[in-house]
Amino acid sequence: MAKKNVSVWTSVPFWRRSAAWVTGFATILLIWLSFDTLGQISMGTDADLKNGVDKRVPGPTVINYHIDYKMSKKRGHEVPVIGEKQLFFGKEWSEKDAAALLRLGKLTEQAKNCMDCHTLLGNGAYYAPDLTKAWLDPAWQKGGPMQGMTGKNTVEEAMAEFLQHPSQYPTHARMMPNLGITAQEAKGLVAFLKHMSSIDTNGFPRNFSKTVDQFKAGGTNAH
Amino acid sequence: MFEAFTDVNHSFFGFLNQGPLTLTIFLHTIIILPMFWIYFSEKKRLENEQ
Repeated sequence: MAKKNVSVWTSVPFWRRSAAWVTGFATILLIWLSFDTLGQISMGTDADLKNGVDKRVPGPTVINYHIDYKMSKKRGHEVPVIGEKQLFFGKEWSEKDAAALLRLGKLTEQAKNCMDCHTLLGNGAYYAPDLTKAWLDPAWQKGGPMQGMTGKNTVEEAMAEFLQHPSQYPTHARMMPNLGITAQEAKGLVAFLKHMSSIDTNGFPRNFSKTVDQFKAGGTNAH
Repeated sequence: MFEAFTDVNHSFFGFLNQGPLTLTIFLHTIIILPMFWIYFSEKKRLENEQ
């Protein structure tokens, strides 16, 4: 029997099978990607920090360490570098206490709606500075104008003081409103910010160090 | 073609995503290749049907 000329392109079962394959494969792929992402963004533990296990999101006790942000030639962007032990509000926080403080910070951040003006990890507004790496902002370090203005000696105390009384420390940038943040809530928020700065965000926000260099050269660090 | 993995955590998709468009090219390839098989099996079925 001679084979007839047939048109596969006008065959409904062909398109049905193709569509079923593409949709089915994409569904499985998306489910797989979701679980892959869950593993990538799961929070590390205190033991991970002590054993030097790299986690994208370090455990809450990362607030007990000095955090730096350095250009990685290998990865082509800046990465957080967790360094030596550093007291946070004058003490070393246990795993339980650090987790509780971070939780308070997260709840305060949600209750006061920081994202109304600020951006956190890419979510929020750009009315006020991006807070993703705020902990590393040189303005808050020793010798920086924000720390100098509050009259405190550490980044965490200066930030906590500012958060409680923002209207007392006006800058050339848009003024932060007084949100009635308590001393304990301010501590939580600063812990939240310090932890957030230690998260590996694949170099987001882009060109952070560039703004730091501009700042050191006498330029403005306001975004 | 194969470069050292540079991401924080090892993952299959991270490995595929090391160069420009590598993930896209890989996914398109594995999605489209079976469609050749679908095409020819469907062609064979239509030919035998008539």
